[in-house]
Amino acid sequence: MKQIILGMKGRLFRIGAGILLFAAAAIVGRLGLEIISAVLFAVTLAVSGYDVFISAAKGLFRRDLLDEKFLMSIASIGAMIIGEWSEGAAVMLFFLVGETFENISVRRSRTSIRALMEICPDEASVLIGDKEETVDAEDVEVGSVIVVRPGERVPIDSVVLSGSADTDTSALTGESLPRAVTVGDTVQSGTVIINGLLTMKTLRESGESAAARILSLVENAVDNKSKEEKFITKFSRIYTPAVVIAALIIAAALPIFKITTLTESVYRALIFLVISCPCALVISVPMAFFGGIGGAASRGILFKGGGCFERVAKADTVALDKTGTLTKGSFRVSEVTALGLDREELFYLAASAEYISNHPLSDAIRGLSDRAAAPSEGEEIAGEGVIATVDSRRVAVGNAALMQRVCATVPTPKGGEVFVAVDGVLSGIITLSDEVKPEAKAALEAMKSLGVSRSVMLSGDRRENAEAVAHELKVGAAYSELSPEDKYARLEELISESAGGVYYVGDGINDAPSLARADVGIAMGSVGQDSAIEAADLVIMSDNLMRIPEARVIARRTLSIAKQNIVFALAVKLLVMVLGALGLANMWLAVFADVGVAILAILNSMRTLLIARNSPKIIEKVNKA
Amino acid sequence: MKIKYTITGLDCPNCAAKLSRNMEGIEGIDSAKINFLTEKLTVETSLSEADAYTALSAAARAFDKSVKIEK
Repeated sequence: MKQIILGMKGRLFRIGAGILLFAAAAIVGRLGLEIISAVLFAVTLAVSGYDVFISAAKGLFRRDLLDEKFLMSIASIGAMIIGEWSEGAAVMLFFLVGETFENISVRRSRTSIRALMEICPDEASVLIGDKEETVDAEDVEVGSVIVVRPGERVPIDSVVLSGSADTDTSALTGESLPRAVTVGDTVQSGTVIINGLLTMKTLRESGESAAARILSLVENAVDNKSKEEKFITKFSRIYTPAVVIAALIIAAALPIFKITTLTESVYRALIFLVISCPCALVISVPMAFFGGIGGAASRGILFKGGGCFERVAKADTVALDKTGTLTKGSFRVSEVTALGLDREELFYLAASAEYISNHPLSDAIRGLSDRAAAPSEGEEIAGEGVIATVDSRRVAVGNAALMQRVCATVPTPKGGEVFVAVDGVLSGIITLSDEVKPEAKAALEAMKSLGVSRSVMLSGDRRENAEAVAHELKVGAAYSELSPEDKYARLEELISESAGGVYYVGDGINDAPSLARADVGIAMGSVGQDSAIEAADLVIMSDNLMRIPEARVIARRTLSIAKQNIVFALAVKLLVMVLGALGLANMWLAVFADVGVAILAILNSMRTLLIARNSPKIIEKVNKA
Repeated sequence: MKIKYTITGLDCPNCAAKLSRNMEGIEGIDSAKINFLTEKLTVETSLSEADAYTALSAAARAFDKSVKIEK
């Protein structure tokens, strides 16, 4: 802020001088020294507007007669010519004040948005031999070894070679809980190391790393214009010529029809010129979206453009993928029954047999025993399980079909059971379940209170599992055992049934077509997935489902702020024009309608920066209501 | 070729739009988009990088002394 003001020293000085001169001129005028007063007003005009005049002259040279500064110059000089000395000076002085404020607020909001974006260091400490060298992050080659110390940001996406640390990913994901990383873990650029020293190998170039990609997404988002922004662009092209023509008509017509004197009609026309710039709208509306996008980015929510705000705000249906989206996507043992042997032994045999499989369920079972080792021999039967020889015993781990194969009898499965048979006899049942994300239910409820009335789960998983999750989360409907093509087809049905639009929430793994097809494709936790980011309209950096209702709040409020500005600015200008034409407005009012409205609209737009931060509170309120 | 610059010193989005139109009038500059809020100028051009820079900076200077372009 201080810097911004220092950068404006010249202008602030001119404002001060202008105000003093203006006051002096007014006092002298009261004392009856009219000529001196007029001269002082003229000096005020020159001090506050000389740069405007220069630029107006340039505009004239370019034959740009609709240049804002040219019109302002005409308005102020014209006022003086018809003897309105104080108003002529005031127009320019307040124009200067307004422009200065405008400039300060534009710079401020730029700085605050940029601060949100300063998540990536420019330099990296590269280990060459056993010496550290500070190198431009851009010049670090893939596979280099870098060192990051506590308090520093990781400059490039890397994998940890040695050391362990707690990390803060809030700049990327908006999540405040620290994440512990250790050898073998991948850390994205922009992550802050809280404690511990990490030696890491870089996986990408700095420009391809998470932070740089987020930045470029946000920057490009500003170029994808919303309906409101497009309207303003079109409107601003016709607004100025229309107002100038209206001014000319007023100046000429009123005296011709003997309604007013020429002086009066010129005065009324000059009022029109003062409000002929659509600046308030042209600045404040894009700024509202810029602020919305920037604020959302600070919570790990990336809007792909101003264009998708409306769709995010309006959708009335949400379709969600199950595994990895509503659930954590990692399986956990929820129940164990050991028959004829102890648990440890059961875990040991099952874990060892599972060594030969890569199935996600196998990963969970393998983790059950520390003693487990690769079996001497074994085979995997796709869709059923594994049969392996562990310590010269035949161990079969899998579903009911596999049990039949090894002649073990089993109870009717309820869902999620993995049976373990040893030498043809059922010896244990391990029930695995995918954990539902803790915030899933609250997120769905919040979406519902925000007007997403229909929720549908689309899952590739077995029916029992899908229905259990749907029931727990009170999802409106659940479709299970769907192939990616089935999901796409279901989604199309939902789209045709929905009036407001459909969100599709997925992790981007083989559902990119659905992400692209939905009115709003929401990719979760997938900064690394190119296809998902490409296809989605909204990218959520963390896997926290609460970010979806938050995004909706941000979109709604941003749109309403943009609309407020449009309505407010147009209404004030129209009112002043009508009053001006009728002779009920003076130039002071016109100056307010021009710069005053612009400043108010900009300040209003800057509120969008705060929405993101307040969105959890807003959701709480909505949920209570 | 697509080149990105940082452009500073512009007063308002209206001026930004005007300057971008001026720039698009330069021969060899196919499109010049200025984003007022992010202060980015994106140019599509058939000129060499050096020639494009010279032409664009000249256009910026002619428009207003305080406007500066940086790679």
